[in-house]
Amino acid sequence: MTTSSGNLAQKAVTETAIKIDKLNKWYGDHHVLKDVSLDISEGEIMVVCGPSGSGKSTLIRSLNHLEEYQEGVVSVFGQPLSRDRQSHKIIHQTMGMVFQNFNLFPHLTVLQNCTLGLTWLRKMSERDADKMAMRLLDRVGIAHLATRYPGQLSGGQQQRVAISRSLAMEPKIMLFDEPTSALDPEMVKEVLDVMIDLAKTGMTMVCVTHEMQFARQVADRVVFMADGEIIEVGPPEQVLVNPQWDRTREFLQHVL
Amino acid sequence: MDDLNVKNQPALKQFVPTPPRPPRKSEKGIFGTIRHRCFNSIGNSLLTLCVATVLFYLVKHVLDWAVFNAVFIADNRRQCMDISPDGACWAGVISWFNGLIYGRFPVDEQWRVNIGVLLGLVWLLPLMSKRIALRNFILLSWIGLYPFVGAYLFLGGRFGEELGLVHGAMTCLALAFLTIIYANWILSSLGKKGLNELFVPLVSRLVERRIHLLSFVAVWLLVALVIASGLSQVSLEPVPIERWGGLFLTFIIAGFAITMAIPVGVILALGRRSKLPVIHWLSMTVIELVRSVPLITVLFMAVTLLPIFLPADMEFNKLTQVLVAVCLFAGAYMAENIRGGLQAIPKGQYEAAATLGLGYLHTMVLIILPQALRMMIPNIMTSFISLLKDTTLVSIIGLFDIMLMARNIANDKDWVGMHTEPLVMISVLFFILCYSMSQYSLNLEKRLKVDR
Ligand SMILES: Nc1ncnc2c1ncn2[C@@H]1O[C@H](COP(=O)(O)OP(=O)(O)OP(=O)(O)O)[C@@H](O)[C@H]1O
Ligand SMILES: [Mg+2]
Repeated sequence: MTTSSGNLAQKAVTETAIKIDKLNKWYGDHHVLKDVSLDISEGEIMVVCGPSGSGKSTLIRSLNHLEEYQEGVVSVFGQPLSRDRQSHKIIHQTMGMVFQNFNLFPHLTVLQNCTLGLTWLRKMSERDADKMAMRLLDRVGIAHLATRYPGQLSGGQQQRVAISRSLAMEPKIMLFDEPTSALDPEMVKEVLDVMIDLAKTGMTMVCVTHEMQFARQVADRVVFMADGEIIEVGPPEQVLVNPQWDRTREFLQHVL
Repeated sequence: MDDLNVKNQPALKQFVPTPPRPPRKSEKGIFGTIRHRCFNSIGNSLLTLCVATVLFYLVKHVLDWAVFNAVFIADNRRQCMDISPDGACWAGVISWFNGLIYGRFPVDEQWRVNIGVLLGLVWLLPLMSKRIALRNFILLSWIGLYPFVGAYLFLGGRFGEELGLVHGAMTCLALAFLTIIYANWILSSLGKKGLNELFVPLVSRLVERRIHLLSFVAVWLLVALVIASGLSQVSLEPVPIERWGGLFLTFIIAGFAITMAIPVGVILALGRRSKLPVIHWLSMTVIELVRSVPLITVLFMAVTLLPIFLPADMEFNKLTQVLVAVCLFAGAYMAENIRGGLQAIPKGQYEAAATLGLGYLHTMVLIILPQALRMMIPNIMTSFISLLKDTTLVSIIGLFDIMLMARNIANDKDWVGMHTEPLVMISVLFFILCYSMSQYSLNLEKRLKVDR
């Protein structure tokens, strides 16, 4: 097995990008996150895996407050987040998110999807925004589709647009919630390639995914979750090859 | 070990896709199609013949009455009867035609109505041009500013006398905006910058931020001043609102209802979804109250109840009250249409907008409403069409719209008892209007469908 090619090894000093402290969440009486704590360093690639219903989506969506949680603290670059304006600002300035089913805006062209935030929130001039968006689209290899509408693209192309759209806001941290689960096997690779490229640029990434190959290749650490708890955290060669817990091994047998 | 398996197998066959071929075309032509569809069996042939005969008789009778036996030139109903007893008497409609269109608007001043309506259409014309500065504001200005110009033309009066100061100022601003739009259109076709950018160099020397906005405001005010100095010289004969009528009045009421329906509907629909209890219950009450009462009642309430609630010194004319009522009525129905559209928008759209950092207003205006409205085009158009037809009810509370004018014909001593012809004419007119509206909506749907 090749060793992980993450950025962490090359970085001498790392700052904590996200600090999750004793996170607890209930849906009614259903306890879906149980005392989850985790530190993610700047530039780290963190892959979260686990069986369905284990709370992976809930965890990653708690980070940017798409879900509310009842107990615990999430800090981003040392700033504890709450429900106020200031926290919202920090979240939007530092975190981007890519969803399982893309969630592109169907009434806007690919280019407009990417420039929307730039022109309306950053107040960038239309020309600058277009230039920046085109550069990003070019990076993910779909600049030639800029004038199409999302409905006219394949799933893999749509997901790459979604990644460009998030990147346009220049986030420091990217959250991916099963970005390839809705894709045909042939398209999975084109999205993963984009993510691997992104990982090489030193972006902090938190990825919920079932692509173990991807985890082995780029992850600095892998988190295994089950029943709302983090069972194992560690470098991929440890968690994926030599798991310490029976639950992890059982899961890996199903996936690999 | 997978690799080993592959090596041991014989060489793979190479896949070559079959070349495409065009689909077969049907070569039947129109007669072939008719034969194939209508005469493909004895039963069907008989059915076709029966339907054709009935249709023939129907069309023949209608044409006989409306065209072949009809009288187009006569002085009164007696003469019509003498010339052709069982044909339509269009002469009456023709002699009242002016009244049907303009109501009792003074004949000498009717050009103002024409100009006003024309101006309303001309205002929207620049929408055809794709790249014109301030394009986004054309519709907005039409809703917000055009009514002042229209009211000025229809009401008449001198600046500062019959015409209020505010109204006069708004009229000038409106006309100035129209001028700028057209100047921009011409300039953009010449490849130049818009007129609103005229002062950018000057303004950029004075201030740092909002240069374009300030330049636009400066140009706007300047043009408005020029127009004001021109308009203050002319004086239009005042025409009281009571004399407005006919198709012209119907257009005013329906046009107002249709343009206000969407803004009012959006506000009510969003209010109904609001988490603030006061706003939620207020919107809900308005929607449910207005929707559960017939339009006639709403109209009567507006005319009789509104003056009771308002302070005594605030006196509204009947038309204003009717406009308020119709606007509420249209908005309440539209709110439910829009709510349906809003519900159909997946949660992911809100989440995607939130992760980009868009706030409530941005999310609604840029992401959610465009999709919701687009989805609801057929329903919205249906509402518009029924609004256009419903406005004929205002004749009941004594506004001389086209319906009341038509009934007036039967009271004219020359055309006593002539009911059918005016109603037929109105039906045809409304059919044309409504049918073109529904065709337009189909067209709109087709055009916007590309992006789904
Ligand atoms: N809106 C909700 N209301 C009630 N329960 C919910 C809701 N959303 C999720 N849950 C529950 O919370 C638990 C965790 O869900 P979550 O979506 O985080 O799982 P997941 O690990 O992402 O699973 P998957 O791999 O299927 O996406 C599940 O048991 C689920 O049933
Ligand atoms: Mg999930």
